[in-house]
Amino acid sequence: MAFLEINNISKSFASTVAVQDFDLQVERGELVSFLGPSGCGKTTTLRLVAGFETTTQGKIIVKGEDITNKPPNQRNVGMVFQAYALFPNMTVGGNIGFGMKVNKRPQEEIQARVDELLELIAMPGLANRYPHQLSGGQQQRVALARALALNPEVLLLDEPLSALDAKIRVVLRGEIRAIQQKLGITAIYVTHDQEEALSLSDRVVVMHQGRIEQVGPPFEIYNFPKTEFVANFVGTLNAYNAKVLDNQRNVLSIEGQDIQTAQTLGAYKNGDRVMIAIRPERLSFADGQKKVNNLACTVEEVTFLGSIVRVQVRTGEKTLYVDTFNNPYLELPRVGETKQLTFSREAVLILHP
Amino acid sequence: MGNNPVLEEKILTKRESKKGSAQPARSPRFDFNWAWLGVAPFFLFALAFLFLPSFSIVVRSFQGVDGSFTFKNIIAILTESDIINAYQASLSISVITAIGGGFFGFLLAYAVILGGMPRGMRTFMVTFSGVASNFAGVPLAFAFIATMGNAGLITRWIEAIFEINVRQMGFSIYTIWGLSIVYMYFQFPLMVLIMAPALDGLRREWREACENLGGSAWQYWRYVAFPILLPSILGTMILLFGNAFGAYATAYAFSGSFINLVTILIGAQIQGDVLYNPGLGNALALGMIIIMSVCMFGYAYMQRKTSRWVR
Repeated sequence: MAFLEINNISKSFASTVAVQDFDLQVERGELVSFLGPSGCGKTTTLRLVAGFETTTQGKIIVKGEDITNKPPNQRNVGMVFQAYALFPNMTVGGNIGFGMKVNKRPQEEIQARVDELLELIAMPGLANRYPHQLSGGQQQRVALARALALNPEVLLLDEPLSALDAKIRVVLRGEIRAIQQKLGITAIYVTHDQEEALSLSDRVVVMHQGRIEQVGPPFEIYNFPKTEFVANFVGTLNAYNAKVLDNQRNVLSIEGQDIQTAQTLGAYKNGDRVMIAIRPERLSFADGQKKVNNLACTVEEVTFLGSIVRVQVRTGEKTLYVDTFNNPYLELPRVGETKQLTFSREAVLILHP
Repeated sequence: MGNNPVLEEKILTKRESKKGSAQPARSPRFDFNWAWLGVAPFFLFALAFLFLPSFSIVVRSFQGVDGSFTFKNIIAILTESDIINAYQASLSISVITAIGGGFFGFLLAYAVILGGMPRGMRTFMVTFSGVASNFAGVPLAFAFIATMGNAGLITRWIEAIFEINVRQMGFSIYTIWGLSIVYMYFQFPLMVLIMAPALDGLRREWREACENLGGSAWQYWRYVAFPILLPSILGTMILLFGNAFGAYATAYAFSGSFINLVTILIGAQIQGDVLYNPGLGNALALGMIIIMSVCMFGYAYMQRKTSRWVR
């Protein structure tokens, strides 16, 4: 039995279905991210776990106990909100100790716990500051400490970094992960930022239109997307509508050129249309070393992105992206130049609609 | 977790702002801000009809009938029983209507904004409050006289239907409590108008965070919502106090000189045939200015405190 079980839950608001048949088992100490575009139901699912919304169907079980119908203040589930939601009339110490105060813990215990958590979030000595005297990053650390104060069974984080600037986000997400691992707490992290989800999580749940599209470790989600949506949403993608030429030898045709995939095409008939995807970093320019798949292309645009250089090329009617590591000593392709793209069989992913 | 950019974020921001490095270089040419033209009429108006008259009141408070300097007027407002009674009556009505208007206005605002009422009800109440808070003076006084006065509609109905002569039983609307009820008509809508945005400013996440931490609805109001709203509530009640303290037309039209209020006394001293003493009238007005100024500063202080919290 998993530590947190979300068993086939659904949630509807009037005629709108926000979450449908959501089924997930989370192990103790695991950090699972809900990733998806706005309106995909990830925050609603989190709010169902927190108890702020009631399920239309399904069950939520923590440590074997059914909490589906428990009010939020009896679930022992900590939550970090997107916009911090710190109480503005209380100091940092007051905010962190609030849960213990309303649960009538002794003042000495509250003080000790507040001090301990301030150390954990690297903000000792700031207990008497008010939220408006803190930066966004500091406020979110306090919100995290407040959520941890009662030693919750599950920690829920609702896009906690989305209000912060890029640099602080990167630092803070590392810290959140470190704290989560140090405490061994089970956590659900909602985000629409794929980089955040991939870098933080033990597993990623990609959601679309209220349903789970794919669940898996970040490596698997990125490298082996099962659906067109996942492939499109996670990372940059070159998608092709290909034609099955030989389902025994796994040969496809795109733009009148033959390519091979490592995945089996046994489920398709020759002549079927199939969606394929190739990540930009799996493509390279031949420069004499051809792989099994080769496509003729014309360079349309070269964009410098710092550590990588993104080259936009055209093959027939289709535009593709090719990512190469930035190397200042190599010559970049020139716009208008005709090149040969090359890629392995393994780079060609078959997508399900 | 020790040394990282987040910890130094605030410090860096402060340093940068001190250096002013991000600010563009100032042009040596004098740039006139034309926005001043927009506010100029207000300042001219305030100068002509607020500051200059106030200055004149201060000066004339220390002048006798012949124009000579005197403390007589100031001493009079501190010692004469009629004047002390007038201040007491004005303060009583102001306190009663500030507390009553504040309490009922808050309940009404809560019911309309957070009580889950239909959206249309909210629009109606806010519009009504906007009108009612400005409905004062002769029409308001007449409305109450016509309904609850000695020959008022309700008074007559009670006499006719229940055969009870409320006047013989000692009921009269022409008392401090009666005038307080009249004032309440514009006091609590004013509370609704000012409290509605404050109640709107309570963020859903605060309630949810409180619940999430094990707090009950009562604990949310006790520790979070009420302390956040308190400066707004107190600030608005100070405003209601000032609003009632300075009211003249309603009180005069309602009771003539039956109820001895400071504003009515000032009118009598400046315009009256019998009590004509402009110096004393100005001294009374000076007392009002001082009380109103305290109210204004109190209100501004409370508003500042609230805005700092909820920004």
